[in-house]
Amino acid sequence: MSSDHSQPIRPTGRDPFAGRIPISVITGFLGSGKTTLLKRLLRHPGMANAAVIVNEFGEEAIDHELLETSSERMALLDNGCLCCTVRSDLQESLRDLLTKRLHGEVIQFDRVFVETTGLADPAPVVQTLASDALLADKFRLDCVVTLVDAVNGLGQLDTLNEPIKQVAIADRLLISKTDLASSAALLELRAQLTGINPQARILEVVHGELDPADLIDIGLNSRLATAESIARWIGPLAADAPATGSSIGSQTTHTRDIVSFCIGFDRPLTWAAFETCMSVLTSLRGADLLRVKGLLEVEGEPGPVVVQGVQHIFHPPARLPAWSGTERRSRLVFITRGVQREVVEDLFRAVGALGVPHSR
Amino acid sequence: MNSSMIAGSRPDRTLSLNMTLLSHHELDGFGGVGEGVAMQIAPDGRRIMWLAHESAPKNFSAVDVSDPRKPRMIVQTDLPHAQMRSNSLEVVGNILAVAYQTTKVGLKPAGFELFDISIPEQPRSIVHFDASGPYSRGAHCLWFVDGETIHMACGAADFQPRNPKDDQIYRIVDVRNLSRPREIGRWWYPGTREGDEVEPPKRMPQFDSGYRMHNANVYPERPDRAYIGYIDGGAIILDISDKSQPKLVSNWRYAPPFTGFTHTVMPLFGPELLIVSDECTKDDGADWPKLTWVVDNRDETNPVPISTLPLPPVEVFGKRGGRYGSHNLHENPPVEAAQRSDHIVLATFFNGGVRAYDVSNPYQPSEVAYFVPGAPRMSPKGSIQINDVYWDDRGIVYCVDRFSGGLYTLEMNL
Repeated sequence: MSSDHSQPIRPTGRDPFAGRIPISVITGFLGSGKTTLLKRLLRHPGMANAAVIVNEFGEEAIDHELLETSSERMALLDNGCLCCTVRSDLQESLRDLLTKRLHGEVIQFDRVFVETTGLADPAPVVQTLASDALLADKFRLDCVVTLVDAVNGLGQLDTLNEPIKQVAIADRLLISKTDLASSAALLELRAQLTGINPQARILEVVHGELDPADLIDIGLNSRLATAESIARWIGPLAADAPATGSSIGSQTTHTRDIVSFCIGFDRPLTWAAFETCMSVLTSLRGADLLRVKGLLEVEGEPGPVVVQGVQHIFHPPARLPAWSGTERRSRLVFITRGVQREVVEDLFRAVGALGVPHSR
Repeated sequence: MNSSMIAGSRPDRTLSLNMTLLSHHELDGFGGVGEGVAMQIAPDGRRIMWLAHESAPKNFSAVDVSDPRKPRMIVQTDLPHAQMRSNSLEVVGNILAVAYQTTKVGLKPAGFELFDISIPEQPRSIVHFDASGPYSRGAHCLWFVDGETIHMACGAADFQPRNPKDDQIYRIVDVRNLSRPREIGRWWYPGTREGDEVEPPKRMPQFDSGYRMHNANVYPERPDRAYIGYIDGGAIILDISDKSQPKLVSNWRYAPPFTGFTHTVMPLFGPELLIVSDECTKDDGADWPKLTWVVDNRDETNPVPISTLPLPPVEVFGKRGGRYGSHNLHENPPVEAAQRSDHIVLATFFNGGVRAYDVSNPYQPSEVAYFVPGAPRMSPKGSIQINDVYWDDRGIVYCVDRFSGGLYTLEMNL
């Protein structure tokens, strides 16, 4: 667990979401059309004031559109979008970009899109944002978007591990090349994706045509978040959790060794109990906790505490001022590799944070 | 990198982080504002921003900012002559106090004037406190937050400084009887008055700005303390439990090696810190660095600097036009319309705009927001020169340009 997570919740007077530049991480299977998507995205008028970090300037991606300026690693496009190639690593690139922005050396971008390589495990990217103190102070992860090829996606899920993880971690799934796939194959792919990650909304894209608005504001963007935005962020698993009188949540899905479930709590828990359970889980099964997010009713807190993590790294917990429009009850969503719901429940029950299980 | 990509060095570019411009008011062509920015909640509920102009011909302006997106000027007044300026003002309830400073000693009006602003459109003069004299230029800056006492940097008819630059001392004026303000105490840097027994203090070698007071801040948390920026005399804490006889608690001096001009000393009582700002007074980075210091004040007899608020590099902003460096703070005034924070410090930096810092970790303050407007029209420096800032209890941030830009109203996403 990151040290941030084990600290007591400390009020700083800052909104943990609104005062940070959102980052959308775009990942995708090899050949899933990520370059095509980025090419279109970079030209979109809605990308003014955005910075995009790509692996390399595509040969035809931005070529002669570099009207204003260009340098070895940065180009300001004519729609006001700043495009940069990744330096030796993403952490360095983001720090460089941030420093240049704070120094007034580049446009005052208010959003960043990060492209990962096709084979990349997106987890380290997410962890970088949580564990680098400088970056975590200025940026927040808005969402992970994973692009899946409608034609080859099923095969890739069958034979490779990384695509499964990319799907499991995603907040949004984009299916590309839908015009080249049969409707039956598309249905099967959708079923597989939902099985791995019932949390993520699925969109279909053809020829990379996509509104950047579909890739942003998926995460929480203010501590004054509306009930709708909280529901969107925490996903349908939590919404399906039984309303009252139960200590456990919705159905477990189980596809390709990926397990997803939500635990509901029928009473407030202490921060120490939560921290203890998550410490045990992350130290022993951290690698298998693909995504955890939750809204906690913590004793002594007037509003919910937002927690989210990927594997063994958690973002600092964030307090919302009130349960406005949201049911006052802890909900904790897990997407894991082989960590069953019962294991997690037993752990929380052992520390007294969970009551008697509701039989299903 | 092509220079046109360097937005910060181009004064026409607006730079921002976590701050959004809601509105901009040029104050009808008189957009130069000093360091007097205070909000009144009028008897009818309107929020009126009172602004002291930086220089003649205007005295003060009042802008209705009830709807921060639609600011509306409701009154603008003239000075009696051009050999003076107001620069500083404060509002308590429906009383407005305005400082008057003349360009030369011996001129009038010098001191301050109180106004009844119950009807904001019609400020009605109550009294003028005369501080004119053969060695006095009157008042540069005043602090008035309790409705009873004015703490000001001001000359006096009976105060003869050894050096004419040391004319404005700390004067405490009782205004409980609004029509009869009377001085109840004063303090000056030892050695600066003609006839003082102690030796005069050593002048600053590079820029001699004077041993005189700039800001005195007094808060209800410690009514027995005055926190004072004494220009070349550094940061000073005075015991004012007996206002007739202020006593020195501590004096943090850091110039030389720095070049002087301590401006404001603001205590943060929760974390036991002082935020101490310098004033940049030279163009083009000539007096760089002018900093805002975070000072550990757990032992008020021994304030210890532990960090400074981080600023963008002088290489980018230094030649952007005009001044670049520290100046005013949002001073957490204990009045109904103001925001007060122990964590977030809002500060102004001339062409570096207005900037917000999180000092929760005082050893490592973090810049969390900024707004640097593009150069305003008719700017004599060719760049913005943000002079002062106010943060209201709704979370709206107001900042003003020193020469022509007027009032910028901002929303901060923190």
